[in-house]
Amino acid sequence: MKEWIIETSGLSKRYKGRYAVSNLNLKIGRGEIFGFLGPNGAGKTTTIRMLLGLIQPSGGNIQIFGQPLRRNRLQILRRVGSLVEYPSYYGHLSATDNLEAIRRIIDAPKNRISEVLDIVGLSKEAKRPVKGFSLGMKQRLGIASALLGSPELLVLDEPTNGLDPAGILEIRELIKAMPREHGITVLISSHLLSEVEQMANTVGIIRQGEMVFQDSMASLREQAHGSMALRVSDSMKAMRVLAQSGIPSQHEGALLTIGQTDDEYVARAVRELVASGHAVYRVEERRKSLEELFLRIVGEGRGL
Amino acid sequence: MKLKSFMGLLASERLKLGRSPIWLLVPVSPVIGLVIGLLTSLDGTSAAEQYAVLQSAVLTLHAMLLLPILTGIFASFVCRFEHGGGGWKSMLSLPVTRRGLYLAKFVTVAVLLGITQLLTMAALVLATYYHDIAGGIDWAIAWPSLLSGWVACLPLAALQLWASIGWSSFAAPLAINVAFTLPNILIVNSADYGPFYPWAQPALAMLSVSGGGMDFGAFTLPIENVLITIGGSFVVFLLGGLVHMQRKEI
Ligand SMILES: Nc1ncnc2c1ncn2[C@@H]1O[C@H](COP(=O)(O)OP(=O)(O)OP(=O)(O)O)[C@@H](O)[C@H]1O
Ligand SMILES: [Mg+2]
Repeated sequence: MKEWIIETSGLSKRYKGRYAVSNLNLKIGRGEIFGFLGPNGAGKTTTIRMLLGLIQPSGGNIQIFGQPLRRNRLQILRRVGSLVEYPSYYGHLSATDNLEAIRRIIDAPKNRISEVLDIVGLSKEAKRPVKGFSLGMKQRLGIASALLGSPELLVLDEPTNGLDPAGILEIRELIKAMPREHGITVLISSHLLSEVEQMANTVGIIRQGEMVFQDSMASLREQAHGSMALRVSDSMKAMRVLAQSGIPSQHEGALLTIGQTDDEYVARAVRELVASGHAVYRVEERRKSLEELFLRIVGEGRGL
Repeated sequence: MKLKSFMGLLASERLKLGRSPIWLLVPVSPVIGLVIGLLTSLDGTSAAEQYAVLQSAVLTLHAMLLLPILTGIFASFVCRFEHGGGGWKSMLSLPVTRRGLYLAKFVTVAVLLGITQLLTMAALVLATYYHDIAGGIDWAIAWPSLLSGWVACLPLAALQLWASIGWSSFAAPLAINVAFTLPNILIVNSADYGPFYPWAQPALAMLSVSGGGMDFGAFTLPIENVLITIGGSFVVFLLGGLVHMQRKEI
């Protein structure tokens, strides 16, 4: 049986009669990178705040590392590193001192500070007051703080906010390496599927407080498979020809679309059409991109 | 929460205060007290009363206005770091209890007030030397005065910390604090209201034990009364702040 690092059941948060998060059943296994996706105001941050015990849920349960959060908050948080919304920092202190202020609380080894600064590429700026940092540098410092306690679970709320493309790539590589090298489980939220697509192995899509999709990345990819569009001389008749040879299709105007894209299948369809006297002008692959699929899910909220 | 983690929290608070402008504020009131002490003329005062008069000169402005105002500033200051940019969120995502964090902030304010009182004592010593008062400083009235002044600030510190955490703003609790401190000048003279007004307690506590020409109004009240008011308001304000902190949505 899979070991769940985060497991929520019926998790809800109500603000003045409106549900910001409702009936969320989150399941994240050990060593997974879980991409938590949703548009603005979907309830990602609210969920994460509940997972860290910053706000009380209006209903439901949270188990982290198999322990109830309500009762074992301190023991759990000792094993969690987090970055919520935007990084907080003490502007008058250097990056090193900012980390030292946290280190004194979590009692991490002293040399861990230079280690994490190195990981996020801030070693050279370590001595500068943080108020002079760029947004991306502050974001890196936030990630460094999250890593400081060598956590087993990393909770990152939009960690690539404000990073340049090179920075995004760097952080992505860093996060990808976490489960492999340190056995860390990662929950990372984002607006963009494309951002987590290349690192997440599981995705949860939340929309208006409700989870509308939760499955493996591979299964999401499968849902996004493409179709073939054929432009033929008489699409109505052509559709009947294909149906007779057991190839279902739809027609829109002069176009005929078939749902499968493997070579053999397409070749057979073309052969049948040509053999029955149809002219085939064009055969094109239509790829529904993952992003389109994602937008459809969050846009219409139709569960898949 | 274990003692070791609490010490860690305190050490963290100390580090945050390290290079902050708060250290310019701590000596302000003692320096003003010293200047007033140096400028005070003791010419017409009998030798026996010289020390008491000097002590009340050094302490009056400090106890009446500056110390209560500083208490508010310190309380706002230790929360300032967290108000800016989601600091409460990242602090409370660490393995700390809310109670532990609140108490660490409170202890930090109390220590800052303690340092202020020690510097005020130094000002008193210097002024005594300057005036070359026979018998020097009278420790038997100086220590109780400064110590009880410090204790009398603790309920205020708790109240201000509560306000600072509740308001999530640096300036608002400060403005309120100043507004409540100014009436001190009138209220300490009232035997009816003085004993129950939290902002007047430092003045009542510090100036009543000195006995130097201040035996009017609320100052003549027995110290036990003042301590009961102080003790009672301290418990109420500290618990209020703690409960608020526990329930705060971060
Ligand atoms: N303290 C609050 N009081 C009232 N409503 C709130 C509060 N906090 C959040 N909400 C509401 O809850 C909903 C979810 O907000 P949340 O911040 O979780 O969204 P999000 O998914 O993190 O969005 P974003 O991508 O913009 O960060 C929003 O509609 C928001 O208005
Ligand atoms: Mg958010």
